[in-house]
Amino acid sequence: MSKGRADRPDRVSIRQLNTGVPGLDEILGGGLPEYSFNIIAGGPGCGKTTLAHQFIFANATRERPALYFTVLGEPAVKMLRYQQQYTFFEPSKLDGVIRFINLSQLVLEKDLGAVLDEIVTEVEAADAGIVVVDSFRTVVRRAQAMTTEMELQGFVQRLALHLTSWQTTSFLIGEYAESELRDNPVFTVADGLIWLYQSAERNSIVRKMQIMKMRGQESVPGMHTFRITDAGLHTFPRTYGLAEDVGHVKGTRRISTGIPKLDELIGGGIPEGDSFLLAGPSGAGKSVMASQFVAEGLRHGEPGVIAVFEELPGEYVRRAAKLGFDFEAPQASGALKIIYIRPLDLSVDETVHELITAVKKMDAKRVVIDSLVGFEMALAPDFRHEFRESLYRMITALTRLGVTVVNTVEIEENFTSMALSNFAISFLADDIVRLRYVSINGQLRKMLLVIKMRGSSHSIDMWEFEVTEKGVVIGKPLRGYRALTSGLPEPWSLESGQERPGLRDTFHSPKARGDPDE
Amino acid sequence: MKLEPFTRRAMSTSRESCHRWAKQLLAAEASVPAENHPTVHEAARVCEKLRVSLTRFVGPDGFAALMRRSLALARTQTPLLNGLETTADGRLEHMEELVASGEEGILAATAVNAQLLELLVAFVGESLTIRLVREVWPEAQLETDHED
Repeated sequence: MSKGRADRPDRVSIRQLNTGVPGLDEILGGGLPEYSFNIIAGGPGCGKTTLAHQFIFANATRERPALYFTVLGEPAVKMLRYQQQYTFFEPSKLDGVIRFINLSQLVLEKDLGAVLDEIVTEVEAADAGIVVVDSFRTVVRRAQAMTTEMELQGFVQRLALHLTSWQTTSFLIGEYAESELRDNPVFTVADGLIWLYQSAERNSIVRKMQIMKMRGQESVPGMHTFRITDAGLHTFPRTYGLAEDVGHVKGTRRISTGIPKLDELIGGGIPEGDSFLLAGPSGAGKSVMASQFVAEGLRHGEPGVIAVFEELPGEYVRRAAKLGFDFEAPQASGALKIIYIRPLDLSVDETVHELITAVKKMDAKRVVIDSLVGFEMALAPDFRHEFRESLYRMITALTRLGVTVVNTVEIEENFTSMALSNFAISFLADDIVRLRYVSINGQLRKMLLVIKMRGSSHSIDMWEFEVTEKGVVIGKPLRGYRALTSGLPEPWSLESGQERPGLRDTFHSPKARGDPDE
Repeated sequence: MKLEPFTRRAMSTSRESCHRWAKQLLAAEASVPAENHPTVHEAARVCEKLRVSLTRFVGPDGFAALMRRSLALARTQTPLLNGLETTADGRLEHMEELVASGEEGILAATAVNAQLLELLVAFVGESLTIRLVREVWPEAQLETDHED
């Protein structure tokens, strides 16, 4: 929307201010509209004041200073004591660029008209470019005891009028409840409404943000997660920073898995840009195959990113070394990044943000997510409900960048059926290879089967494989058995009249990409 | 369009236009037969006509707020305007004395009008500002930067 405006000289061009909060400009649709009158709402401790501080430290100047009116809430002294712990806090700006003014006494003793006069007087005297009233809810609550609803509405309207006419960008901060949205006049008058949420679930804190209103521009709808670190708020837009990215057009190149026989079985390698799912039980060799995939890329100069959730990066590197893969040197040279994400309170968006940042920075071609089960476990419980939808957005975002993604997923094996995953996520994968144990002649052997390769031919045989000290080695097709997929095969019986093995094609005919059946 | 941290930016694309418009409105008003405004200078009449017209659009409070801002911005360039004050409905007190004081006073009054137009452009854009002005001066030839 902001781009469009720039192309229309007959309409006013609304400038957009950098909020100083990573990711928030994208969520807002490009930044905060200049001269807008905004509300930052949410419960106690969810980051409202910090968000406002990030904005004023990013935008206030000596010529157009920020005025921060405090009202019966957190005293300015305490506010400064705590806010200065953040890295964005520049003490030098308190020397006239950012000024704190206490309105508490006025609010307690005078009416709304006097409060308005005081704010207007201070704004005009300082030629303020930014105004924050914290907490505006306190002003209103005090006023409600003394004034009618119409008077309150008039006050809010006049405040907005004066602040906007003075060319200020303003924020009213308040601990509002969503139930107040309909009846509170302040929400009607506001140009922008940023709502922050915080919830605790099973020892995890989840923070989310929603742009409920942003006049004049197209913000990204829905809940966006954010984290508060020593740098302040950091938001993780649902668009993953790809809002203006048109997306990568898939080529026709096949990339090697690092296992020559597997390349052969899947029709010549993984189509570049595909999402490839390796599904199988614990210990079957998924991580080994994923390591081979990355190592093969590194051999061909293709940077890679591995996201691990179930073991520490050091363990992952040591295990790869046992297979003969050096993951130390590529990490040092910047060709490989192993992302270990602290578990238990993650959001998918935060994880994907980290992955995408790494992919873009390194121009990575290969990504491994090992494993989706570990990923789910690392999420805060609140996010597990939406894991499937989140995975869809993650895979879409990654493949839009043109990288080839190998996901591993652990399957709780049983001996009556052969599931593809526990998440019903196979639709997310362009290609699926299933590993499983089979009981043959008193041995628990490993079997591999290509379930689907979107739009290309692949083997339909079930292949025995081993995990050796050199990695996965695929042997011969398991012929002469029936019910292999159950894990408890039996020899074929010619007496039963069943078709003998080896009589049909051993490759599945491809269907065109985009075929609904695919 | 990203904005750098606040500075007192010149609204460079429209500032010259707005000053030109203010002078054009002054000329247009000067051509109005004197019997309709026997004692008031055309610079003050432009200001008053803008007030009446814009008040219908933004209300008296809204116009007063715009005029306060315009006067504050114009004062930074023209100290002579320090003698003016805005009333609750946005009228400029002592405007008549200012324009009666001579050429400098007329230029100062024109600067306020230009600043008001510039502020309108900042909020609603050139095109809409011109439409609002033409409601009062339908014949005014207000060229934009784009038309230059």
